[in-house]
Amino acid sequence: MILLLPLLIPLVGAAVLLGFGTGGRARVLALVIGAAEIFAVIRVVLAVYFEQPLQFGRFLRADALSAFFLLNLALVSGLALVYSFDYLQHIEGNRFSSPRWFYTLVFFFVFTMVGVCLSANLGLLWIMMEATTLASALLVGFYNTRGAVEAGWKYLIVCTVGIAFALFGTIVLYLAAIRSGLSPDAALDWMALMESVPRLGGEISLLKLAFVFVIVGYGTKVGFVPMHSWLPDAHAEAPSPISALLSAVLLNCAMYTLLRYDAIVARAIGASFSHTLLLGFGVASLVTAGLLIIVQRDLKRLLAYSSIEHMGIVAIGVGLGGTLGLYGALLHTFNHSLGKSLLFFAAGNVRQNFGTSRMDRIGGLARSSPQAAMALSLGTVAIVGLPPFALFVSEFAILSEAFAQSQILVAALFLATLSIVFGGMFHHLSGMLFREEQSAASTRLEWSEALPIAITVLGLAWLGVHIPAGLQGLIERAIAVL
Amino acid sequence: MDLVQFAAGKTLSSSAVFLLVTVLLLAAAQRVSTSIKLFALQSAIITAQVMATAYTEKSAEAWVVAAMVFGLKVIAIPSTLLWLVERLKTRRAVEPTISGAKAVFVAVFMIFLSYAAVQPYALESHIAADALSSAVALILVGAFLMVNRRKALMQIIGLLVLENGIFLAALATTFGMPLVIEIGIFFDLLMGILIMGIFAFRIRDTFDHLDVTKLRRLRG
Repeated sequence: MILLLPLLIPLVGAAVLLGFGTGGRARVLALVIGAAEIFAVIRVVLAVYFEQPLQFGRFLRADALSAFFLLNLALVSGLALVYSFDYLQHIEGNRFSSPRWFYTLVFFFVFTMVGVCLSANLGLLWIMMEATTLASALLVGFYNTRGAVEAGWKYLIVCTVGIAFALFGTIVLYLAAIRSGLSPDAALDWMALMESVPRLGGEISLLKLAFVFVIVGYGTKVGFVPMHSWLPDAHAEAPSPISALLSAVLLNCAMYTLLRYDAIVARAIGASFSHTLLLGFGVASLVTAGLLIIVQRDLKRLLAYSSIEHMGIVAIGVGLGGTLGLYGALLHTFNHSLGKSLLFFAAGNVRQNFGTSRMDRIGGLARSSPQAAMALSLGTVAIVGLPPFALFVSEFAILSEAFAQSQILVAALFLATLSIVFGGMFHHLSGMLFREEQSAASTRLEWSEALPIAITVLGLAWLGVHIPAGLQGLIERAIAVL
Repeated sequence: MDLVQFAAGKTLSSSAVFLLVTVLLLAAAQRVSTSIKLFALQSAIITAQVMATAYTEKSAEAWVVAAMVFGLKVIAIPSTLLWLVERLKTRRAVEPTISGAKAVFVAVFMIFLSYAAVQPYALESHIAADALSSAVALILVGAFLMVNRRKALMQIIGLLVLENGIFLAALATTFGMPLVIEIGIFFDLLMGILIMGIFAFRIRDTFDHLDVTKLRRLRG
């Protein structure tokens, strides 16, 4: 029952918003529903942490790994909802583009992502992943401009095709499970698959085929190069709170599905096949996105490419494996989502004040809007992995795992790319802060925008200096699940 | 009863051929509405295949799946798409990037490719090779239709053909997924078509055309 609430609240909430969310009511209603949803999700996380994995019926299950990603989801969606409160004021309210529709779709989006984390069944997991695309496509196209419609269409088509490949991979895995003697009901159940791993080991070629399709399919949603083409467009054209949700929650959810499949395949036929693939996609994404960061002209596209780069880092951590690699990867998903939300929140404010996110039209931020400039600089310092912020810790963990396994090539590419990104990000940042040509039309930073920014900065600094025992324990248990 | 058994066996063994014919016709089709009707025909063949499987495997679940395929893919989705074509009032031609004759050759090549790719797996695991190769052919040609056709609506049809192929692959290898999962997948498909329809209207309203190759403002 406790597992059902986090799924029911956003669904009922979306219906309530659609029915009663006219006028100014939607924004207040959304905060109330959001608070209830976060409470319900945190209750699941605490129950899993202090007791044991929860099961509801045949299809819903929460263990420590789900709890870790749910914690991330609750945190970022709470911040994005608070941030949207004043951000949405400038929207007039066309069809599908009113605050009422915005929040309806946001809660449906949250529902699908919670569903991804709570699925016990790989078929249900696929259904929920596809539903994330459907729920967020209209949000990506929310502004209804030429760019937004184009980005929304591209997102819908590219991700649906990608996910279709993941469905094929899931069917192949199902076939392998059926052939090794599982009943049709158990053949897609993650726990049942994990328990019958020795029997699955006989179906090596089918499992390999399944994993290739799954990593291409769900990898499209993670944003792995070369399937990343939807990601910069979608992140750049979506409203900023949605960019934060896409980058900080959706990409993590997609990574979470890959972790589930990786665990089965790695246990059944040995880790080298799936981990090599993950490592390959990770390095490709890291290097390509790192180089493309230099030539970006649009602030939000820059941040989107940085997301691809960080998902590459996470994939490298998972691909290296080992306790430290996996620990670094999981911690990095959390840290990256804090850092990237901070940056998208700051970028949203800049875009509102300047009316554009093109970096050559943004200048003199340091003088005209010091708060936004401060947020942007702190976010950049955090995201390039400088101490004392948290991303330094997780990147350091992954790097030391690479050295410990004497994967010198990976480590060298990792370090080289990070330094290129460092240069590129600060080059773009200094241009926006100190170039004295343009000034903002207005320099407002509402309290509802400042609060989430402050929370993310504090969180990043705190996790960078000291990782609380609770989070540490949760990550360790999540690794034990795998 | 023997007659029904006989008919079911014939349906299973011959439907692959009919599916390949629809694939070739789709590659050659000149009008959007023709493509939609061909998709409906293809789905009808798949319905027959599901019914034959349901009969031979004596599975009640498969009858439900057959009813859903028929209701959704033969009736609901094609009629929605035909309505969209009416409402959008676009030019009728599909405007392929390579001509119909060449496209048929590409489709033929893909059919060969899928037979060649499936053969080793089918030999090893006693799966009907014809059904599985036609499934893979549908997947490949669906993807080809998506990249070859400029119209937004044709991309939707390509996607649907691709999805038909995946459905058929599940049917040929494992007699389909569990019923609850199938229902969920159908629900997603229906929602997907709805949202793509909304986007088709938006593309027309903001760009005054449905040519997705001209959607190239966002690059780099």
